[in-house]
Amino acid sequence: MWTKVFSGFGYWDVYSWIIFFFIASGLVLWIRSMGRSDYKKGTEQDEIFYGANAVPEDGSEIQVPASSAYWGFVEALKGYYEKLAEMHSGLTNDYVGYMVVVAAVLVVLVLL
Amino acid sequence: MIGNLPYLVVGIIFLLGLYAVLFEKNLIKIAIGVSLIEASANLLLIVLGYRTGGSIPVFTLAGKVGKMVLPVPQALTLTAIVIGLATSALMLSLIMMLYKHYGTLDVREIRRLRG
Amino acid sequence: MSWHVHLPALVIAVPLLGAFIAPVASMLGKVARNFWLVGVSALTALLSVLLWQQVLTSGTAIYVMGAEAFNLSLPSGMSLPIRIILEVDAFSAFMAVVGSIAAFAGALFSTNYMERFSGLDKFAALYFLLTTGMLGMVLTGDLFNFFVFLEIASVASFGLVAFWRDRPEAIEASFKYMVVSTIGAMMILIAIAFLYGRYNAVSMAAVANALRLGYAEKIALVFLIIALAMKCGTVPMHMWTPDAYTEAPAGVTCLLIAVSQASLYGLFRVCFSIYGASLGSAVVPWTIIILGVLSMFIGVSMAVVQKEIKRLMAYHSVSQIGYMLLGLGVGLLALSDPQAMADYGFTAMKGGIYHLINYTMYKGLLFLTAGALYYAAGSRNLNDLGGLARTMPYTTFMFVIAAAAIAGLPPFNGFVSKLLIYESTFAVYPILSIMALVTSVLTLASFVKVFQTAFLGPAKAKLAQVKEVPPGMLLGMSVLTIVIIGLTLFPTWSLSNLVEPAAKALVNQAGYISAVIGGGL
Repeated sequence: MWTKVFSGFGYWDVYSWIIFFFIASGLVLWIRSMGRSDYKKGTEQDEIFYGANAVPEDGSEIQVPASSAYWGFVEALKGYYEKLAEMHSGLTNDYVGYMVVVAAVLVVLVLL
Repeated sequence: MIGNLPYLVVGIIFLLGLYAVLFEKNLIKIAIGVSLIEASANLLLIVLGYRTGGSIPVFTLAGKVGKMVLPVPQALTLTAIVIGLATSALMLSLIMMLYKHYGTLDVREIRRLRG
Repeated sequence: MSWHVHLPALVIAVPLLGAFIAPVASMLGKVARNFWLVGVSALTALLSVLLWQQVLTSGTAIYVMGAEAFNLSLPSGMSLPIRIILEVDAFSAFMAVVGSIAAFAGALFSTNYMERFSGLDKFAALYFLLTTGMLGMVLTGDLFNFFVFLEIASVASFGLVAFWRDRPEAIEASFKYMVVSTIGAMMILIAIAFLYGRYNAVSMAAVANALRLGYAEKIALVFLIIALAMKCGTVPMHMWTPDAYTEAPAGVTCLLIAVSQASLYGLFRVCFSIYGASLGSAVVPWTIIILGVLSMFIGVSMAVVQKEIKRLMAYHSVSQIGYMLLGLGVGLLALSDPQAMADYGFTAMKGGIYHLINYTMYKGLLFLTAGALYYAAGSRNLNDLGGLARTMPYTTFMFVIAAAAIAGLPPFNGFVSKLLIYESTFAVYPILSIMALVTSVLTLASFVKVFQTAFLGPAKAKLAQVKEVPPGMLLGMSVLTIVIIGLTLFPTWSLSNLVEPAAKALVNQAGYISAVIGGGL
């Protein structure tokens, strides 16, 4: 049960990770318990700080939408992503075409 | 030479079907192309099992026969034909529903799913 | 002769019977139909596990349909291997267990998930036909029979992908999948015809026994590899996967994952057991490795930019297939060299096969959680979701487990199989494992995006009414969660009992042949 998975170069032992996980969560809980509990409820100390602005009622006004996530990554690789979008054209003919082309190339490679 | 003619026909039908699927823009023509490819595969199976001058592979009342054609490819072909029938019917009904939804049979118009 | 002998046939026959009784059962009402859907799936899973146990204890099981022996002896003494046989070695049995667990979870999930829709008798029938096709593909020992089961699975999946037929996209996805898949299936049939023409046999073992590599065999090999790689969604033949996986109902997508694994099984059965050592050059292994690396990278980079949750996950399944192709491709590369096999090839194969079961479980679970989100919040678009962790705590918990497993975060099972693949492919070419690592990072990045936008963040006014999904769906998800946690906590057990016998069976071509042919024809 307590044996390790050897990969030929190293090993994997899940139980040391689980022990590590418990130690880490113990630490996190300990740090959390160090927080101050003597703040004044119902005063300004209790409110959300939103850059000195009023906090919006609906969450959708302050959330970054998913299509904006990793904007910089996509912008940096724009050329690559334009090519990929071109590949996924949605045309049935193209989908079959890719298969036929790959098959043809592989036939040539294997027969050579 | 003449014995290889059926294989040539198989190849031509296969390529015709492939051409239709790759280059035709009409859904019905694509379906015809798929059916042609199915037909060529079935023909290939039948041709493989045929022996020149062979008789039908039935032992009962066969009389005196020198050689018989192989029955296995014929059984395979029957199964493949049934499968082809099912796919053709389903494909045509999908085309019908695509026409209802999109109002066109042009494959270039039916590409909401991309990217 | 105990009934255990009939296990291979029962595993296929039970869901097939389930398919044809399903419309009758649904006449008796909703409860009877759901009971039938779940009960038959559970029975199938149970039978698969029994079959797997039997194969592990008493070796490869051969089942001849409709006769005692596989060959037909003519009075002249000539014997032909013509009967339809099921040949179940450890790899097949392993695949059957994996697939039937996914089918069970999907069925359990679908009972509640599909209750808002009509036509469920047909749904249940098609679901069982898809299960039958998948199990038949992995259990059969006959090439033509493999084609038939592949087509059963394909036709059932066309119907299920287009199940929401009022959605134009569903019909479109189904049609595209159908055109590509049918042409692939015809390529398989032509390849089988080539092999039959050369060897007068369609039994895999008989073909493997007689195989001498010539032009016809090479073309047949290419056709089989390309068609089966297309069926499991390898770049650049993957374009149908995002469409089909997205538009199918979530429970079905979970099963479609298992079906794509059955195609992967077919690919490796052809490469290892039929061609095996006579594969000759390194072109085919390298093709599989390169296709794997391409799938990993292109799949994941498309996934990062998706904003529809199921489409994002579908691109991930393209990239995860790449890992398995990479692992088993490296194994195939080392097949003819015993030293390389012992050094890294076998580890790579273990990694690939372990990744296969891990992938089926966590990817099925991810699609089920996506379905749960769609069911509860009514949208698959990540821009519309947000803050759902408060209202759907159980779904969130299971999503986190599955996302951590797919991203390869330790200590989850995804990490173990990826570790095995990284370290063994590093021995072949370091660039391969670097690509795999980059893919893993991008996988984590895109799942962080899903988790952050769908589950975290402030609650949205639109989603105030969202409640946790009904118990049937939670049960279906928790089946897969339990399997993932089991694989995580007992990696040694699962590697030595599940994976290693399967990898050994795959490498042992002579064993596969001699289990059927015995002392030769």
